[in-house]
Amino acid sequence: MSMMHASQVGAAPSTAHLMRWVIVATLPGIAAMTYYFGLGVISNVLLAGLLAVGAEALIMTLRQRPVRPALQDSSALLTGVLLGISLPPASPWWLIAVGVLAAVVVAKQLYGGLGHNPFNPAMVGYALLLVSFPTYMTLWAPPQPLSIETLFSPTLWAQIIGMLPPTALDALSGATPLDTFKHKGEAVLASEFWASQPLPEGTLSAWRNVALAWLAGGLALIAKRIISWHIPVAMLSSMTLLAALFYASDPSHFASPLFHLLTGATLFGAFFIATDPVSAATSQRGKLIYGVGIGVLVIIIRTLGGYPDAVAFAVLLMNVCVPLLDLYTVPRPNSHYNAAAQSKPSKPL
Amino acid sequence: MPAYEFPGGIYPPERKARSNQSPLQAAPLPSQVTLPLKQHAGNPATPCVVVGENVNVGSLIAQRNGMISAHLHASISGTVTHVDDTAITIEADGLDRWETLPPLDWRTAAPAALLERLESSGLAGLGGAGFPTHIKAKVAEHNVIDTLVINAAECEPYITADDLTLRHYAADVLEGAQLIARLCGAQTIVIGIEDNKPEAISALTQALSQMQHPATIALKVIETRYPSGGERQLIKKVLNRDVPSGGLPADVGTLCHNPGTLLAAFHAVRDGKPLVERIVTLTGDAISRPGNVWVRLGTPVASLLKGAGLDPHQLHQVIVGGPMMGTPLTTLDTPVTKTTNCLIAATLAELPPAPVESPCIRCGACELVCPAQLLPQQLHWYARAESDSTLETLNLFDCIECGACSFVCPSFIPLVEDYRSAKQRIRLKQIESAKAEHAKHRFEFRQARIAREDAEKKARRQARLAHTQKSAPSSAGDDAAPEADLRSLRIAQTAAKAAVKKAEKVLARAAEQAPKQRFEDLETQLATAQENLKAAEARLAEARANATQKDSTI
Repeated sequence: MSMMHASQVGAAPSTAHLMRWVIVATLPGIAAMTYYFGLGVISNVLLAGLLAVGAEALIMTLRQRPVRPALQDSSALLTGVLLGISLPPASPWWLIAVGVLAAVVVAKQLYGGLGHNPFNPAMVGYALLLVSFPTYMTLWAPPQPLSIETLFSPTLWAQIIGMLPPTALDALSGATPLDTFKHKGEAVLASEFWASQPLPEGTLSAWRNVALAWLAGGLALIAKRIISWHIPVAMLSSMTLLAALFYASDPSHFASPLFHLLTGATLFGAFFIATDPVSAATSQRGKLIYGVGIGVLVIIIRTLGGYPDAVAFAVLLMNVCVPLLDLYTVPRPNSHYNAAAQSKPSKPL
Repeated sequence: MPAYEFPGGIYPPERKARSNQSPLQAAPLPSQVTLPLKQHAGNPATPCVVVGENVNVGSLIAQRNGMISAHLHASISGTVTHVDDTAITIEADGLDRWETLPPLDWRTAAPAALLERLESSGLAGLGGAGFPTHIKAKVAEHNVIDTLVINAAECEPYITADDLTLRHYAADVLEGAQLIARLCGAQTIVIGIEDNKPEAISALTQALSQMQHPATIALKVIETRYPSGGERQLIKKVLNRDVPSGGLPADVGTLCHNPGTLLAAFHAVRDGKPLVERIVTLTGDAISRPGNVWVRLGTPVASLLKGAGLDPHQLHQVIVGGPMMGTPLTTLDTPVTKTTNCLIAATLAELPPAPVESPCIRCGACELVCPAQLLPQQLHWYARAESDSTLETLNLFDCIECGACSFVCPSFIPLVEDYRSAKQRIRLKQIESAKAEHAKHRFEFRQARIAREDAEKKARRQARLAHTQKSAPSSAGDDAAPEADLRSLRIAQTAAKAAVKKAEKVLARAAEQAPKQRFEDLETQLATAQENLKAAEARLAEARANATQKDSTI
């Protein structure tokens, strides 16, 4: 039995600290999103976080497990925050509640709680909403820098309580760059598409800046050793490589690697979603394969599949592969290599 | 500085300054000692004294039992007051009369005499496992050893016993190393020491510059990182050799010894002093006078700590060994043994109990620090699920139980405990299935013993016959048969000798790999081989007597 623990001598964080650090690292991204998409982002995150904590408390009570430690580890709060970030700013409260329940109750607790869920809870919630409520899930308004008008938009409250009239829905919704590019039509060449200025002024730079904010938070997590570099690096480099191959083969029809990296959920997904340790592969080699798998799936679904963004599906699909990856990527210790070559000849008896 | 690295490792707070500031002292003589019969790997020793007997310091009080075992000597002079299956108690007479063996010179004495001295001095490794030193020295019979590694890394926090040993006895330790190197045939001696012991390093440098040494001795100062004192880790670090999984350092031509053991070996040879005392680190915030002391084996921990200024109100727990791999004591009545290198009297604030365990989130912190390149988080999962076959796929038995994974676990999971109990469970299963085998081996032993007694009886009779019939002519026997008999008996004797050697090798290897286990079955097999050898020798003697008798009659 070992007596010393790193956390006691101030050398390493506890699980709760890890979770809180990830939440802290989302703040730049949340701030950037709020700047471009309005207070709906913050209301989403707060609502999802609160609902997640409430759902966790409820189900721990139902499972007759201690409630306090489960809440103190902040894992439910983190799931809520990540799901809240993924939702369009105009999401009504009931939509958020459905997503949170799917994430915390079904994907996490019904599988045994923290540490036992095979799937990324936030992405289970997100995927469920995307499939069930596609209209609401594409309600991304064109980004506009924060101002007094947008800050106290009269629609904010209506958004939160889910009372937006259908006309307002139409007025609000605007396609994301990935969405627009996806539906540009077969006959249109990429050059023509961009020349026609398909997106409102500043849309691409807004998405790029948000992506860079996620990158900043993600790098901070790597620097703090909260997450390892393996998954993000593997995922981003495989995405870049595959997107570059597509782009090189036919630049008139496929988007550039940079476009893939800087729009949609790519960087958020790479640093905050794919790196969820519970549902990711275990060994370092496994993590590399897992990250590459996600990157490849994202590009394939975006390019050839039916959904404009694909991070959630790619992560969930790779979650399925984790048991297999874990089985086949057990590291071979040094002591198992070259044993015969290194050992000195044994004296005969 | 070597450029080689072992994987993983951690940097726990060292906390060595508490005990390495004060000079080495001798602890007061205890008024009573309790000497456990099992202070070493292998079988407990068998008492050879009775209650009431007077003993001197160094008197043999229990004999080794079986091959993997060590003699035990009285550590104070006085009267034996209690003998049972587990320990011998001696009441001191305060005279401290010594009984030593004649001095030997390791450079000129015969190797057999040196081995015999190591054995009769009751030497066992002082580092922790307590492997009998003479068995380890005999490894050269089976493996080619080119390098002796002095494991002076002492990577565990708190412990400074090796540090102080080297500061005070650097030259003696080096002599001891050359003695062992001579016995095992090693041409090179490498000292592996962490860079947090500058005084020991300078003592070694000075001793090296002043002494004559036939073997090449290299001093390798390595970075302070836990667990660089692990045998495999140190060998990797200083020699860049990977000890194969399930193998021993001897498999890569290496032997590892701790400085304390080498010092004891040298004193046993030069001064004829059996192993009756050792250096122990007394430390922890609950004592006011921490330091290192020479302690007679069998001294109760309570009196030692009291002598070092123990504050019982501050005391939370006493740990034997280091804080990473040591074990907490349940009672302070426990005596100091050959493997007690450190006693930590810790306060609650100093080594608080681990917070409540939370679920593993597979963060991988454990994997990054594992020096054996395992997947601790997976091992944890499957250990709790008792999936033993998966555990073996994940190389559970490569785990050295260093505790680096538990140290960094953000969920405070006692990982090493999981692995230990899983190993224990798997071993028990193997023992279950080995029991039937053991019964068979016991039967074979009995058969061999009967055959040996039979053969010896016959040999004696034949010898008597030969003696009485020397003068008188005997009846004519078959003439060609004895020649053929002698040859086949000689072959049988050689085969039996080989079988004994092989059984010894198997047992030594098994015991060195898992020093905490018992090896009754292997000891039985060795005993059977020995009986067979004796029987073969008796038959040969009988045939020879027969032959001479024939010769004399012709």
